[in-house]
Amino acid sequence: MTKVFSIFGSSSRPQLGPFEQQVLQELWSQGSATVRELLADGRIHQAYTTVMTTVDRLYKKGLLDRISEGKAFRYTPRFTPEELQRDTAMESIRQLLGSGDASSLPLSYLVEALSSHDAQLLDELQYLVERKRRELHSRNNHIRQKSAKQKEQH
Amino acid sequence: MFALRGIAVSLTFFVVLYCLLSALVAIAWRGLKLLRATQQGVAALLFGLRILPLAASVAVTFAFVVPSFQLLEPRSTDIDEGMGAIPLALGICALVMIVWGCFRVIAAQTKTARVVARWLEGAHPLNVEAVVPKALQAAAQRVTFCSRREAPPLTLVGVSKPRVLISESTVALLSHDELRIALEHEFAHMKSRDNLKKLVFRFCPFPGMAKLESAWSQAAELAADDAAVSSLYDAVDLAAALVKLSRLVPIEAAPVCTVGFVTGSISARVARLLAWNENRKIQLRRKRSWYLIPAGFVALSCICVTYGQALVLTHEVTEWLVR
Repeated sequence: MTKVFSIFGSSSRPQLGPFEQQVLQELWSQGSATVRELLADGRIHQAYTTVMTTVDRLYKKGLLDRISEGKAFRYTPRFTPEELQRDTAMESIRQLLGSGDASSLPLSYLVEALSSHDAQLLDELQYLVERKRRELHSRNNHIRQKSAKQKEQH
Repeated sequence: MFALRGIAVSLTFFVVLYCLLSALVAIAWRGLKLLRATQQGVAALLFGLRILPLAASVAVTFAFVVPSFQLLEPRSTDIDEGMGAIPLALGICALVMIVWGCFRVIAAQTKTARVVARWLEGAHPLNVEAVVPKALQAAAQRVTFCSRREAPPLTLVGVSKPRVLISESTVALLSHDELRIALEHEFAHMKSRDNLKKLVFRFCPFPGMAKLESAWSQAAELAADDAAVSSLYDAVDLAAALVKLSRLVPIEAAPVCTVGFVTGSISARVARLLAWNENRKIQLRRKRSWYLIPAGFVALSCICVTYGQALVLTHEVTEWLVR
Protein backbone atom coordinates (compact mmCIF):
# COMPACT_ATOMS: atom_id res chain seq x y z
CA MET A 1 0.00 0.00 0.00
CA THR A 2 2.91 2.28 0.84
CA LYS A 3 4.16 1.83 -2.71
CA VAL A 4 0.82 2.82 -4.17
CA PHE A 5 0.64 5.99 -2.17
CA SER A 6 4.19 6.96 -3.02
CA ILE A 7 3.73 6.21 -6.73
CA PHE A 8 0.53 8.09 -7.08
CA GLY A 9 1.44 10.82 -4.66
CA SER A 10 0.71 13.54 -7.17
CA SER A 11 -2.98 12.65 -7.64
CA SER A 12 -5.84 14.89 -6.55
CA ARG A 13 -6.45 12.53 -3.61
CA PRO A 14 -4.55 14.08 -0.68
CA GLN A 15 -1.14 12.58 -0.20
CA LEU A 16 -0.76 10.54 2.98
CA GLY A 17 2.09 10.70 5.43
CA PRO A 18 3.67 7.56 6.94
CA PHE A 19 1.69 7.77 10.19
CA GLU A 20 -1.58 8.37 8.34
CA GLN A 21 -0.86 5.28 6.24
CA GLN A 22 -0.13 3.27 9.40
CA VAL A 23 -3.42 4.36 11.00
CA LEU A 24 -5.34 3.55 7.82
CA GLN A 25 -3.72 0.08 7.63
CA GLU A 26 -4.68 -0.48 11.27
CA LEU A 27 -8.28 0.51 10.58
CA TRP A 28 -8.40 -1.81 7.56
CA SER A 29 -7.19 -4.68 9.71
CA GLN A 30 -9.66 -3.92 12.54
CA GLY A 31 -12.62 -2.97 10.33
CA SER A 32 -13.62 -0.07 12.57
CA ALA A 33 -12.20 1.36 15.78
CA THR A 34 -12.21 4.25 18.21
CA VAL A 35 -8.94 6.06 19.00
CA ARG A 36 -8.74 4.20 22.29
CA GLU A 37 -9.14 0.81 20.51
CA LEU A 38 -6.41 1.75 18.03
CA LEU A 39 -4.05 2.47 20.90
CA ALA A 40 -5.11 -0.61 22.85
CA ASP A 41 -4.01 -2.85 19.98
CA GLY A 42 -0.41 -1.99 20.87
CA ARG A 43 0.88 -1.49 17.34
CA ILE A 44 0.57 2.29 17.42
CA HIS A 45 2.99 3.96 19.83
CA GLN A 46 1.87 7.57 19.81
CA ALA A 47 0.08 9.88 22.19
CA TYR A 48 -3.74 9.78 22.29
CA THR A 49 -4.01 13.34 20.97
CA THR A 50 -1.66 12.60 18.03
CA VAL A 51 -3.76 9.60 16.96
CA MET A 52 -6.95 11.61 17.42
CA THR A 53 -5.60 14.44 15.23
CA THR A 54 -4.50 11.94 12.58
CA VAL A 55 -7.85 10.12 12.33
CA ASP A 56 -9.59 13.47 12.25
CA ARG A 57 -7.35 14.53 9.36
CA LEU A 58 -8.10 11.26 7.53
CA TYR A 59 -11.82 11.87 8.09
CA LYS A 60 -11.51 15.39 6.65
CA LYS A 61 -9.63 13.98 3.64
CA GLY A 62 -12.69 11.83 2.97
CA LEU A 63 -10.99 8.49 3.67
CA LEU A 64 -12.92 7.61 6.84
CA ASP A 65 -16.53 7.59 8.00
CA ARG A 66 -17.36 8.16 11.64
CA ILE A 67 -20.28 7.70 14.02
CA SER A 68 -20.44 9.03 17.54
CA GLU A 69 -20.11 6.43 20.28
CA GLY A 70 -20.60 8.04 23.69
CA LYS A 71 -18.10 10.88 23.93
CA ALA A 72 -15.80 9.48 21.23
CA PHE A 73 -16.11 8.65 17.53
CA ARG A 74 -15.92 5.24 15.88
CA TYR A 75 -14.00 5.45 12.60
CA THR A 76 -14.51 3.16 9.60
CA PRO A 77 -12.50 3.22 6.34
CA ARG A 78 -14.65 4.52 3.51
CA PHE A 79 -12.77 2.48 0.90
CA THR A 80 -11.19 -0.97 0.79
CA PRO A 81 -7.44 -1.04 -0.05
CA GLU A 82 -8.31 -2.25 -3.58
CA GLU A 83 -10.88 0.50 -4.13
CA LEU A 84 -8.44 3.15 -2.96
CA GLN A 85 -5.69 1.73 -5.16
CA ARG A 86 -7.97 1.65 -8.21
CA ASP A 87 -9.31 5.10 -7.48
CA THR A 88 -5.85 6.57 -7.08
CA ALA A 89 -4.58 4.90 -10.25
CA MET A 90 -7.61 6.09 -12.23
CA GLU A 91 -7.17 9.62 -10.96
CA SER A 92 -3.48 9.63 -11.87
CA ILE A 93 -4.18 8.30 -15.37
CA ARG A 94 -6.94 10.87 -15.82
CA GLN A 95 -4.55 13.62 -14.76
CA LEU A 96 -1.89 12.29 -17.11
CA LEU A 97 -4.29 12.17 -20.05
CA GLY A 98 -5.50 15.69 -19.34
CA SER A 99 -2.03 17.16 -18.83
CA GLY A 100 -0.88 17.74 -22.41
CA ASP A 101 -2.08 20.26 -25.00
CA ALA A 102 -2.37 17.54 -27.65
CA SER A 103 -4.75 14.93 -26.26
CA SER A 104 -3.00 12.01 -27.99
CA LEU A 105 0.42 12.83 -26.55
CA PRO A 106 -0.10 11.69 -22.92
CA LEU A 107 -1.83 8.56 -24.19
CA SER A 108 1.24 7.79 -26.26
CA TYR A 109 3.39 8.12 -23.09
CA LEU A 110 1.13 5.62 -21.40
CA VAL A 111 1.30 3.19 -24.33
CA GLU A 112 5.08 3.63 -24.44
CA ALA A 113 5.37 2.95 -20.71
CA LEU A 114 3.19 -0.15 -21.00
CA SER A 115 5.11 -1.38 -24.07
CA SER A 116 8.46 -0.95 -22.36
CA HIS A 117 7.08 -2.74 -19.29
CA ASP A 118 5.87 -5.57 -21.53
CA ALA A 119 9.22 -5.76 -23.32
CA GLN A 120 11.04 -5.89 -20.00
CA LEU A 121 8.75 -8.65 -18.76
CA LEU A 122 9.27 -10.62 -21.98
CA ASP A 123 13.04 -10.20 -21.64
CA GLU A 124 12.84 -11.65 -18.14
CA LEU A 125 10.71 -14.55 -19.35
CA GLN A 126 13.09 -15.18 -22.25
CA TYR A 127 16.00 -15.28 -19.79
CA LEU A 128 14.14 -17.84 -17.64
CA VAL A 129 13.39 -20.01 -20.68
CA GLU A 130 17.02 -19.90 -21.85
CA ARG A 131 18.26 -20.75 -18.36
CA LYS A 132 15.91 -23.73 -18.17
CA ARG A 133 17.06 -24.86 -21.60
CA ARG A 134 20.71 -24.69 -20.53
CA GLU A 135 19.86 -26.67 -17.39
CA LEU A 136 18.19 -29.34 -19.49
CA HIS A 137 21.12 -29.53 -21.90
CA SER A 138 23.65 -29.82 -19.12
CA ARG A 139 21.54 -32.46 -17.40
CA ASN A 140 21.27 -34.34 -20.67
CA ASN A 141 25.02 -34.15 -21.21
CA HIS A 142 25.63 -35.34 -17.68
CA ILE A 143 23.36 -38.37 -18.20
CA ARG A 144 25.07 -39.16 -21.50
CA GLN A 145 28.52 -38.96 -19.92
CA LYS A 146 27.39 -41.15 -17.05
CA SER A 147 25.96 -43.83 -19.33
CA ALA A 148 29.10 -43.70 -21.51
CA LYS A 149 31.25 -44.25 -18.41
CA GLN A 150 29.06 -47.15 -17.33
CA LYS A 151 29.43 -48.73 -20.79
CA GLU A 152 33.21 -48.34 -20.63
CA GLN A 153 33.28 -49.99 -17.21
CA HIS A 154 31.22 -52.93 -18.49
CA MET B 1 -55.44 -19.45 -27.77
CA PHE B 2 -54.47 -22.64 -25.90
CA ALA B 3 -51.29 -23.02 -27.94
CA LEU B 4 -50.39 -19.34 -27.55
CA ARG B 5 -50.92 -19.54 -23.80
CA GLY B 6 -48.77 -22.67 -23.70
CA ILE B 7 -45.97 -20.91 -25.54
CA ALA B 8 -46.22 -17.85 -23.28
CA VAL B 9 -46.19 -19.97 -20.09
CA SER B 10 -43.25 -22.05 -21.33
CA LEU B 11 -41.27 -18.95 -22.27
CA THR B 12 -42.09 -17.35 -18.91
CA PHE B 13 -40.85 -20.39 -17.04
CA PHE B 14 -37.76 -20.51 -19.25
CA VAL B 15 -36.80 -16.87 -18.72
CA VAL B 16 -37.41 -16.93 -14.96
CA LEU B 17 -35.38 -20.12 -14.50
CA TYR B 18 -32.63 -18.86 -16.83
CA CYS B 19 -32.26 -15.57 -14.94
CA LEU B 20 -32.32 -17.24 -11.53
CA LEU B 21 -29.74 -19.88 -12.49
CA SER B 22 -27.54 -17.30 -14.25
CA ALA B 23 -27.54 -15.05 -11.19
CA LEU B 24 -26.76 -18.03 -8.97
CA VAL B 25 -23.88 -19.17 -11.19
CA ALA B 26 -22.49 -15.62 -11.54
CA ILE B 27 -22.35 -15.33 -7.74
CA ALA B 28 -21.40 -18.87 -6.71
CA TRP B 29 -18.74 -19.96 -9.21
CA ARG B 30 -15.93 -18.09 -7.43
CA GLY B 31 -16.37 -20.31 -4.39
CA LEU B 32 -15.16 -23.33 -6.35
CA LYS B 33 -12.03 -24.99 -5.02
CA LEU B 34 -10.41 -27.13 -7.70
CA LEU B 35 -6.94 -27.62 -6.34
CA ARG B 36 -6.49 -31.23 -7.50
CA ALA B 37 -8.33 -31.05 -10.82
CA THR B 38 -6.58 -31.03 -14.20
CA GLN B 39 -6.80 -27.85 -16.25
CA GLN B 40 -8.87 -29.81 -18.75
CA GLY B 41 -11.28 -30.63 -15.91
CA VAL B 42 -11.33 -27.03 -14.72
CA ALA B 43 -12.04 -25.76 -18.25
CA ALA B 44 -14.81 -28.34 -18.71
CA LEU B 45 -16.35 -27.47 -15.36
CA LEU B 46 -16.24 -23.71 -15.99
CA PHE B 47 -17.77 -24.21 -19.44
CA GLY B 48 -20.43 -26.45 -17.90
CA LEU B 49 -21.22 -23.82 -15.28
CA ARG B 50 -21.38 -21.07 -17.91
CA ILE B 51 -23.91 -22.92 -20.05
CA LEU B 52 -25.73 -24.55 -17.14
CA PRO B 53 -28.44 -21.84 -16.91
CA LEU B 54 -29.26 -22.11 -20.62
CA ALA B 55 -29.02 -25.90 -20.80
CA ALA B 56 -31.01 -26.46 -17.58
CA SER B 57 -33.69 -23.93 -18.55
CA VAL B 58 -34.15 -25.47 -21.99
CA ALA B 59 -34.16 -29.02 -20.57
CA VAL B 60 -36.66 -28.23 -17.79
CA THR B 61 -38.90 -26.28 -20.17
CA PHE B 62 -39.06 -29.04 -22.77
CA ALA B 63 -39.02 -31.99 -20.36
CA PHE B 64 -41.48 -30.68 -17.76
CA VAL B 65 -43.19 -27.37 -18.54
CA VAL B 66 -44.42 -28.14 -22.06
CA PRO B 67 -45.69 -31.70 -21.25
CA SER B 68 -47.28 -30.56 -17.97
CA PHE B 69 -49.14 -27.81 -19.82
CA GLN B 70 -50.20 -30.19 -22.59
CA LEU B 71 -51.42 -32.89 -20.20
CA LEU B 72 -52.74 -31.02 -17.18
CA GLU B 73 -54.06 -27.71 -18.46
CA PRO B 74 -57.82 -27.88 -19.13
CA ARG B 75 -58.56 -27.40 -22.84
CA SER B 76 -62.22 -26.70 -22.38
CA THR B 77 -63.34 -23.54 -24.13
CA ASP B 78 -65.72 -22.86 -21.21
CA ILE B 79 -62.79 -22.02 -18.99
CA ASP B 80 -61.08 -19.08 -20.62
CA GLU B 81 -58.19 -18.14 -18.38
CA GLY B 82 -56.84 -15.54 -20.79
CA MET B 83 -53.20 -14.87 -21.49
CA GLY B 84 -52.31 -12.81 -18.40
CA ALA B 85 -50.04 -9.76 -18.32
CA ILE B 86 -47.07 -11.43 -16.59
CA PRO B 87 -46.70 -14.40 -18.98
CA LEU B 88 -47.15 -12.06 -21.92
CA ALA B 89 -44.46 -9.63 -20.72
CA LEU B 90 -42.01 -12.34 -19.67
CA GLY B 91 -42.71 -14.30 -22.86
CA ILE B 92 -41.81 -11.24 -24.91
CA CYS B 93 -38.69 -10.81 -22.76
CA ALA B 94 -37.68 -14.40 -23.49
CA LEU B 95 -38.27 -13.94 -27.21
CA VAL B 96 -36.22 -10.72 -27.23
CA MET B 97 -33.45 -12.53 -25.34
CA ILE B 98 -33.42 -15.41 -27.85
CA VAL B 99 -33.47 -13.05 -30.85
CA TRP B 100 -30.71 -10.93 -29.28
CA GLY B 101 -28.63 -14.07 -28.67
CA CYS B 102 -29.11 -15.19 -32.30
CA PHE B 103 -28.18 -11.72 -33.52
CA ARG B 104 -24.98 -11.73 -31.44
CA VAL B 105 -24.01 -15.15 -32.81
CA ILE B 106 -24.66 -14.14 -36.42
CA ALA B 107 -22.83 -10.82 -35.96
CA ALA B 108 -19.81 -12.59 -34.42
CA GLN B 109 -19.74 -15.14 -37.23
CA THR B 110 -20.06 -12.49 -39.93
CA LYS B 111 -17.34 -10.30 -38.43
CA THR B 112 -15.00 -13.27 -38.01
CA ALA B 113 -15.62 -14.40 -41.59
CA ARG B 114 -14.90 -10.88 -42.89
CA VAL B 115 -11.66 -10.49 -40.92
CA VAL B 116 -10.45 -14.02 -41.73
CA ALA B 117 -11.19 -13.50 -45.44
CA ARG B 118 -8.91 -10.45 -45.33
CA TRP B 119 -6.17 -12.39 -43.54
CA LEU B 120 -6.46 -15.19 -46.09
CA GLU B 121 -5.81 -13.02 -49.14
CA GLY B 122 -2.84 -14.64 -50.85
CA ALA B 123 -2.71 -17.48 -48.31
CA HIS B 124 -1.84 -21.06 -49.19
CA PRO B 125 -1.80 -24.43 -47.36
CA LEU B 126 1.43 -24.93 -45.45
CA ASN B 127 3.41 -28.14 -45.80
CA VAL B 128 3.67 -29.06 -42.14
CA GLU B 129 4.10 -32.80 -42.64
CA ALA B 130 7.74 -32.53 -41.67
CA VAL B 131 6.89 -30.56 -38.54
CA VAL B 132 3.85 -32.32 -37.13
CA PRO B 133 3.98 -35.94 -35.85
CA LYS B 134 2.11 -38.66 -37.77
CA ALA B 135 -0.72 -38.80 -35.22
CA LEU B 136 -1.63 -35.22 -36.08
CA GLN B 137 -1.23 -35.44 -39.86
CA ALA B 138 -5.01 -35.28 -40.43
CA ALA B 139 -5.28 -32.11 -38.39
CA ALA B 140 -2.20 -30.70 -40.12
CA GLN B 141 -4.16 -30.53 -43.38
CA ARG B 142 -6.02 -27.65 -41.80
CA VAL B 143 -2.99 -25.41 -41.38
CA THR B 144 -2.90 -22.40 -43.66
CA PHE B 145 -0.04 -20.06 -44.20
CA CYS B 146 -0.82 -16.35 -44.23
CA SER B 147 1.51 -13.75 -45.58
CA ARG B 148 -0.63 -10.71 -44.77
CA ARG B 149 1.00 -8.33 -42.28
CA GLU B 150 -2.13 -7.84 -40.17
CA ALA B 151 -2.68 -11.58 -39.71
CA PRO B 152 -2.02 -12.83 -36.15
CA PRO B 153 1.11 -14.95 -35.57
CA LEU B 154 -0.73 -18.20 -34.88
CA THR B 155 -4.44 -18.62 -34.41
CA LEU B 156 -7.30 -21.06 -34.75
CA VAL B 157 -10.26 -19.74 -36.75
CA GLY B 158 -13.70 -21.05 -37.65
CA VAL B 159 -16.37 -23.08 -35.91
CA SER B 160 -17.69 -25.80 -38.21
CA LYS B 161 -14.48 -26.24 -40.20
CA PRO B 162 -11.77 -24.84 -37.94
CA ARG B 163 -8.30 -24.25 -39.30
CA VAL B 164 -5.03 -22.92 -38.00
CA LEU B 165 -3.58 -19.79 -39.54
CA ILE B 166 0.13 -19.27 -39.25
CA SER B 167 2.00 -16.15 -40.30
CA GLU B 168 5.23 -15.73 -42.23
CA SER B 169 7.00 -14.22 -39.22
CA THR B 170 5.99 -17.15 -36.99
CA VAL B 171 7.56 -19.67 -39.34
CA ALA B 172 10.69 -17.53 -39.55
CA LEU B 173 10.92 -16.90 -35.80
CA LEU B 174 10.28 -20.34 -34.31
CA SER B 175 12.58 -23.34 -34.37
CA HIS B 176 11.34 -26.68 -35.73
CA ASP B 177 10.43 -28.02 -32.25
CA GLU B 178 8.86 -24.77 -31.12
CA LEU B 179 6.68 -24.63 -34.22
CA ARG B 180 5.60 -28.25 -33.76
CA ILE B 181 4.58 -27.77 -30.14
CA ALA B 182 2.85 -24.45 -30.86
CA LEU B 183 0.81 -26.15 -33.60
CA GLU B 184 -0.06 -28.99 -31.24
CA HIS B 185 -1.34 -26.38 -28.79
CA GLU B 186 -3.67 -24.99 -31.47
CA PHE B 187 -4.76 -28.51 -32.47
CA ALA B 188 -5.70 -29.10 -28.82
CA HIS B 189 -8.00 -26.06 -29.03
CA MET B 190 -9.40 -27.44 -32.29
CA LYS B 191 -10.06 -30.83 -30.66
CA SER B 192 -11.87 -29.28 -27.71
CA ARG B 193 -13.95 -27.05 -30.04
CA ASP B 194 -13.14 -23.87 -28.14
CA ASN B 195 -14.38 -21.57 -30.90
CA LEU B 196 -17.80 -23.24 -30.79
CA LYS B 197 -17.85 -22.80 -27.01
CA LYS B 198 -17.10 -19.09 -27.41
CA LEU B 199 -20.00 -18.81 -29.81
CA VAL B 200 -22.31 -20.51 -27.29
CA PHE B 201 -21.27 -17.86 -24.74
CA ARG B 202 -22.30 -15.19 -27.24
CA PHE B 203 -25.74 -16.74 -27.47
CA CYS B 204 -26.48 -16.56 -23.75
CA PRO B 205 -25.20 -13.25 -22.37
CA PHE B 206 -25.88 -12.35 -18.76
CA PRO B 207 -24.46 -9.59 -16.54
CA GLY B 208 -21.64 -10.78 -14.29
CA MET B 209 -20.61 -13.72 -16.51
CA ALA B 210 -17.60 -11.98 -18.09
CA LYS B 211 -15.25 -13.04 -15.30
CA LEU B 212 -16.40 -16.65 -15.54
CA GLU B 213 -15.77 -16.56 -19.31
CA SER B 214 -12.35 -15.05 -18.73
CA ALA B 215 -11.52 -17.78 -16.17
CA TRP B 216 -12.68 -20.42 -18.67
CA SER B 217 -10.51 -18.82 -21.37
CA GLN B 218 -7.42 -18.99 -19.14
CA ALA B 219 -8.22 -22.59 -18.12
CA ALA B 220 -8.72 -23.53 -21.81
CA GLU B 221 -5.28 -22.12 -22.63
CA LEU B 222 -3.66 -24.07 -19.80
CA ALA B 223 -5.58 -27.20 -20.84
CA ALA B 224 -4.30 -26.79 -24.43
CA ASP B 225 -0.76 -26.36 -23.05
CA ASP B 226 -1.18 -29.57 -21.04
CA ALA B 227 -2.57 -31.45 -24.03
CA ALA B 228 0.30 -30.34 -26.26
CA VAL B 229 3.16 -30.97 -23.85
CA SER B 230 4.35 -34.46 -23.06
CA SER B 231 7.86 -33.83 -21.70
CA LEU B 232 9.89 -31.11 -20.04
CA TYR B 233 11.61 -30.42 -23.39
CA ASP B 234 8.21 -29.82 -25.00
CA ALA B 235 7.27 -27.53 -22.11
CA VAL B 236 10.40 -25.41 -22.54
CA ASP B 237 9.88 -25.26 -26.32
CA LEU B 238 6.28 -24.15 -25.83
CA ALA B 239 7.36 -21.51 -23.30
CA ALA B 240 10.01 -20.26 -25.75
CA ALA B 241 7.46 -20.10 -28.58
CA LEU B 242 5.07 -18.21 -26.32
CA VAL B 243 7.66 -15.60 -25.39
CA LYS B 244 8.83 -15.18 -28.99
CA LEU B 245 5.33 -14.77 -30.40
CA SER B 246 4.33 -12.38 -27.60
CA ARG B 247 6.74 -9.89 -29.12
CA LEU B 248 4.75 -9.85 -32.36
CA VAL B 249 2.16 -7.20 -31.64
CA PRO B 250 -1.13 -7.93 -33.46
CA ILE B 251 -2.24 -5.13 -35.78
CA GLU B 252 -5.94 -5.59 -35.01
CA ALA B 253 -8.01 -7.20 -32.28
CA ALA B 254 -8.95 -10.84 -32.90
CA PRO B 255 -12.65 -11.50 -33.64
CA VAL B 256 -14.79 -13.77 -31.46
CA CYS B 257 -14.51 -17.10 -33.29
CA THR B 258 -10.73 -17.28 -33.04
CA VAL B 259 -8.34 -18.63 -30.44
CA GLY B 260 -4.95 -16.98 -30.59
CA PHE B 261 -1.80 -18.72 -29.39
CA VAL B 262 -0.74 -15.69 -27.34
CA THR B 263 -3.75 -15.43 -25.06
CA GLY B 264 -4.25 -15.21 -21.31
CA SER B 265 -1.57 -14.47 -18.76
CA ILE B 266 1.72 -15.13 -20.60
CA SER B 267 3.88 -14.96 -17.48
CA ALA B 268 1.64 -17.42 -15.63
CA ARG B 269 1.69 -19.81 -18.58
CA VAL B 270 5.46 -19.60 -18.99
CA ALA B 271 6.06 -20.06 -15.25
CA ARG B 272 3.78 -23.10 -15.26
CA LEU B 273 5.52 -24.61 -18.30
CA LEU B 274 8.98 -24.09 -16.82
CA ALA B 275 7.87 -25.84 -13.62
CA TRP B 276 6.56 -28.77 -15.65
CA ASN B 277 6.45 -32.05 -13.78
CA GLU B 278 6.40 -35.10 -16.05
CA ASN B 279 5.02 -37.35 -13.30
CA ARG B 280 2.08 -35.04 -12.74
CA LYS B 281 0.64 -35.61 -16.19
CA ILE B 282 0.88 -39.39 -15.81
CA GLN B 283 -0.80 -39.23 -12.37
CA LEU B 284 -3.58 -37.01 -13.63
CA ARG B 285 -4.21 -39.18 -16.67
CA ARG B 286 -4.95 -42.17 -14.46
CA LYS B 287 -7.90 -40.45 -12.82
CA ARG B 288 -11.17 -41.12 -14.59
CA SER B 289 -14.57 -40.01 -13.43
CA TRP B 290 -16.21 -43.45 -13.75
CA TYR B 291 -18.31 -42.75 -10.67
CA LEU B 292 -20.31 -40.22 -12.71
CA ILE B 293 -21.88 -42.97 -14.85
CA PRO B 294 -23.76 -44.77 -12.03
CA ALA B 295 -24.64 -41.40 -10.48
CA GLY B 296 -26.13 -40.27 -13.80
CA PHE B 297 -27.97 -43.56 -14.17
CA VAL B 298 -29.46 -43.25 -10.66
CA ALA B 299 -30.51 -39.63 -11.33
CA LEU B 300 -32.16 -40.64 -14.61
CA SER B 301 -34.01 -43.52 -12.91
CA CYS B 302 -35.27 -41.16 -10.18
CA ILE B 303 -36.56 -38.75 -12.83
CA CYS B 304 -38.34 -41.57 -14.68
CA VAL B 305 -39.99 -42.89 -11.49
CA THR B 306 -41.14 -39.50 -10.23
CA TYR B 307 -41.94 -37.98 -13.63
CA GLY B 308 -45.72 -37.91 -13.12
CA GLN B 309 -45.44 -36.16 -9.77
CA ALA B 310 -42.88 -33.77 -11.21
CA LEU B 311 -45.31 -32.82 -14.00
CA VAL B 312 -48.03 -32.08 -11.45
CA LEU B 313 -45.64 -29.99 -9.38
CA THR B 314 -44.39 -28.12 -12.46
CA HIS B 315 -47.98 -27.38 -13.45
CA GLU B 316 -48.70 -25.99 -9.99
CA VAL B 317 -45.59 -23.82 -10.17
CA THR B 318 -46.51 -22.48 -13.60
CA GLU B 319 -50.06 -21.77 -12.41
CA TRP B 320 -48.65 -19.85 -9.46
CA LEU B 321 -46.19 -18.05 -11.71
CA VAL B 322 -48.74 -16.79 -14.22
CA ARG B 323 -51.29 -15.58 -11.68
